[in-house]
Parts: sequence; C-alpha cells; structure tokens
Amino acid sequence: MSRRVELEVRDLTKRYSPLVSVGPISFEVHEGEFFSLLGPSGCGKTTTLRCIAGFETLSGGSIRVGGERLDDKPPHRRDVGLVFQNYALFPHLTVFDNVAFGLRLRRMSKVDIAERVDRILQLVDLARMTTRIPAQLSGGQQQRVAIARSLVLEPRILMFDEPLSNLDFKLRLQMREELRNLQRRLGKTSIYVTHDQTEALALSDRIAVLSQGRIEQIGTPEEIYERPTSAFVAEFIGSSNMLPVRIVERGSDLTLVETEGGLRLLCLAAGEATFDGAADIAALIRPERVHVEAPGGAAAPRENRVAARIADVTYLGEDLLLGLELNGGDRLRAAMKNANASRRLAAGQYIEIVIAAADLRLLRR
Amino acid sequence: MEDAQRRRTWLALTGPYALFLLFLLLVPFANVAVYSLHPYSPTKVFLPELTFANYLKIFDVYYLRLFGRTLRLGLITMAVCIVLGYPLAYFLARSRPRMQALCLFLLIMPLMVSAVIRVFGWIVILGRKGLVNQALLVFGLDPVRLLYNETAVVIGLVNVFIPFMVLPIMASIERIPPSLEEAAQNLGANWAQMFRRTILPLSVPGLLSGCLLVYSLSISAFVTPALLGNSRDRMVGQQVYDEVLVSFNWPSASSLALTLIALTGVLMFCALLATRRASRREAAS
Repeated sequence: MSRRVELEVRDLTKRYSPLVSVGPISFEVHEGEFFSLLGPSGCGKTTTLRCIAGFETLSGGSIRVGGERLDDKPPHRRDVGLVFQNYALFPHLTVFDNVAFGLRLRRMSKVDIAERVDRILQLVDLARMTTRIPAQLSGGQQQRVAIARSLVLEPRILMFDEPLSNLDFKLRLQMREELRNLQRRLGKTSIYVTHDQTEALALSDRIAVLSQGRIEQIGTPEEIYERPTSAFVAEFIGSSNMLPVRIVERGSDLTLVETEGGLRLLCLAAGEATFDGAADIAALIRPERVHVEAPGGAAAPRENRVAARIADVTYLGEDLLLGLELNGGDRLRAAMKNANASRRLAAGQYIEIVIAAADLRLLRR
Repeated sequence: MEDAQRRRTWLALTGPYALFLLFLLLVPFANVAVYSLHPYSPTKVFLPELTFANYLKIFDVYYLRLFGRTLRLGLITMAVCIVLGYPLAYFLARSRPRMQALCLFLLIMPLMVSAVIRVFGWIVILGRKGLVNQALLVFGLDPVRLLYNETAVVIGLVNVFIPFMVLPIMASIERIPPSLEEAAQNLGANWAQMFRRTILPLSVPGLLSGCLLVYSLSISAFVTPALLGNSRDRMVGQQVYDEVLVSFNWPSASSLALTLIALTGVLMFCALLATRRASRREAAS
C-alpha cells in the first residue's frame, strides 16, 4: 500500500499500575483506510483509541497525525472524531443542535451551520428528524446522529468505539452495511474498535489483532483469516481446529507431521516460520476446509484423506456442524453448507474427510 | 374484594403516621390559623371577634423590613451555597465511591451535631477574642467584628444547609454519563465550554431543588440567627419566638408564621414549575 501515512502510532504504552499496562503498540493507518483494532475485552483496544482521542495520557511512545505530534495536544484540539459506544448524544439538545454542537464552538455563521448540518443529516438520512431529541430516536437513528455529529466537523480521522454493540442483530447487519458504504463514499480515514471478528472482517481494509495489550498481527482480513501468525489469532478469528503435532519430515515444500493420535498429515511448508526443535506446534485446520466424502476414495497428491466417524451433528439451518472422531482418537470439527450436504449425515456414520495440504497451517501453540 | 384488601393494607402502612401528622401537625396548624384571625388580648390570649388586622399589620415598615431582611438573608445564603456547593457536588459526583462516601460523611457531619453546639462553635471561632481575631492580631491587624451581625448568620446558615444544596446537585450530575463530557471535548469544547453546554443545563433540576431546600430552610431558621445575629436585625423566626414566649401575642405570631409558610409555598410552587419545564425538555418522549 503506497498511500500516505495519516496516523502513526509508535510504541504507545499506557501503564495503569505495575501489573496492568497496555503496549508497546505500533501501527500506521494510511489515508482513506478503514483500520480495525480487534481483540477480546481488556486487550487494550479501547485504551489505544482513548489515547488517540486524548482522554488518556500516554506513559510512553508517540502518536502523529499527518506527521504532526498529536499526543501533547488537549482532547478538544485534536481534530479526531470519536463515535462513542453509547453514542453520548446530548439528551437536552435536538438532533440539529447535537450535530451543530461542534460547528457553533468554531464560531461559524448561522447560515453556514444550518447548511452544513442539513447536508450531513441528508447524508445519514435523518433530514426529517432535525427537531427530535435523542430519546425520541431509535438506536440506529441515534447511531447515525452520533456519526453525523463527528463527520460534520470533517475530522482528519474518524474513530468508532464498538459502535454497533448496542444494536440488535438485524439492525447491526444493516448499520454495518451503511457504515461501510459511507466510509467508502467519503474516503475518510477510520479507526474502528471492536471485539466482533465478523464486523472487523466485513468492514476493514486492514485489521490489527490485539491480545493482552500487544498487537498479535496486522493484516488484511484475508491475511488475518487465512494466514494467522499465532495460535491466538487463529483461534480468535473464526472457528478453528488446532491439532497438536510434531514434525516428522521436512521436504522442500511439503512437511509431514504426526498428531498425538498417530495420524500423519501433509502440509505445505510454513515458509515464514521455522520450527526447529520446537515442541509446541499445532496444525490449524478451518472447519469449512474439512471436506466430507464417502469412504473408499483415493487421496490425490497434496491432499490428506482420513477415515472418520461422525460423533455428532449440529443443525444450524444454513450450515451443518459436524463433530468428527478420527482414526487414532483425534477430534475435528467440520462445517459445511447445508446445500452441499449430498446425503443425510447422522451421528455414528463412517465417512472419509479430505483436507488439502494447503489448508493445513502450522503454528506455535 | 381485592380492592378492599389492598385499601386495608395501605391504611395499615400509612395510617399510623397519618394520625401522627393529623394530631401533631394539622390540628395545631389549624389552631394557629384560628389564632391569626382574632385580635390580641393581654388577658385572654385572644378576643372572640374575627379580624384581618394581624395580617394587615405586616405591611407596617417594621414587619416589611423584617420579612425583607429574612428573604434577603435567605437569598444570600442560597447564593453562597451555590457558589461553594456546586463545585463540591461536581467533585463528589465524579469521584470514586470510597472518596465519595468519606466526603459525604464530612459534608453531613454538621447536621449530626446539635444546633446549639454547632452555633457555639462558631461563637468561639468568630468571637471578639475568637480564633479569627487572634490570628489577625498575630499578623498585627486590627480585630474585626464578626459575631452578632448578618455575616455571622449567613456563615452559620451556610454551614448547616450546604448539604441540602450539594446532595441534589450531586445526584443530578451523577446521572450525566462522563462520556457526554468527553464527547463535548471531542467536538472541540474546552472545559469551560463543555461545562456550560452540557453539565450545567443537565444539572438544572438538581440545582433548582437545592436552591428551594436551602432557601426555605434559611428563611425559617431560628437557632442560628438567634445566637449569631443581633436582636435588632432579626429574622422572622426570632420575631415569632419573641411574640410567642416574650410578649405572648399569639395572634400576631400566628399571622407571621402563616405568612412565612405561604411565602415558602409560593416559592416551592414556582420552583417545581421550573423543574418540570426543565425536565420535560430533557426527557420528552
């Protein structure tokens, strides 16, 4: 990505106490990019966001926007918009006054304010709600007011703190779409904090996965999902099978590993990581990459074909989730589209599973 | 059947205190109202005929000034309580539970001390040879007269009644999420602008009820002005006390007391209207 770096966070650290601290965290966000901070609660993602907004002071490191130091400015001079988790709308002000709040502080003329507020409310489809107060709006509408209130100031960076977590499931999907369309249309550099991996995958250009105050991996949604660099990332994003293995033989591009149950599997050599002498290796297999076939087939090259017994079937409507018991006692979960399930699968059946060598990924546990 | 059952339950729950109020408040109150409508008699307490003279008398200069002084001291006390109490309320509302509990205890302590002892404490501090004047002497300054004037009364009243200002304001600030303050700052408001545009308007209901409490308590105060003020610049409470126990003019004392209650009632009504208007804007849904 050759675009200009808009935000640069370098070695950001925040110490709350000798035991509780965040960082050092470093990342860059490019101009117009939608960047997510993803991780479980307590991983430091919200702290990072609050440091950028200026509500927390750094214990170390620096934050720059467009090359200029940001971390020594007070919050009201940072030009970084923040959409709060609970929206933080002013309950005593109308939609119009909420959105005009920042413009009035900038001593703009009444005409200019009205024009800009109207334009932005049109954009978020709230033009007819201007005289309502927040209590008279639905959750989704409040959300849009919060976004409009930040957006109208044309901040250099727009930040979202778990903005969809207070909405119900259907509305969440809808707002996710709207948010993405809005961001793509405006090309606003955005930072999005969430613990919901689906949101992060669906919205982001790039994602930073955080755990215990550190960044585990930064990459595009595809990189994060397909090529996780740590067991934490693999298990946090999507569902996963992690089989503890040891390396039996390393070829030029294929590696042979053996599971605890004695099962031998071929996988593509993990180029970036060497596992010399490492004892704590696991093979990651995504459930949807486990293909169920009828017994009696032959393995193609660069494929693993293993006999298995179906231990349980979970019916999810669109999807089927299978619990499998492999020869030797290893257990795997497989997910398949209901539409692709050629015949009725039931617990107790004997089948064979096929896993491509390319779909097996070796990670340190 | 069920209605009757419920009515009986309610009666059992509220009845005892209702009786208590009836005999110890409403009956004496009615009695006072009756007194106030009869002329004074030095020998028989009051004469049988009806008259409004006791109320008309309040328009005499002496009584007008008495009421004027009382209301003015009430206003001053209220204003001082706002100035000192609001920042305190904000601090308390935004501090951790432990700190809050400790400070609340300190704040309410004056209320747990008997009025006479508390006032006596102020006499020791403000007296001619009290702490303040001793300190002034140490710095080579002339002693000042702090006791037995309106300043002393206001100091005493603020000391007792400030919790009644702080607590309602604190309660209404506590209901304002801190994220609103952050949102205002994020939108470009410095602290003062944030305060004026978010915290202040949202705490108006608490501020109003605090003012109402402090004002009505101050104008009906008796012990503090009696012990810290002087007998010429007295407040209504002292006048009532004197007329009841010194000159035995019960009809006149009754009319003064009722007038004070009526003034407080009107004030309370206005404040309630204002609160209603403020909170309706806040939560019209």
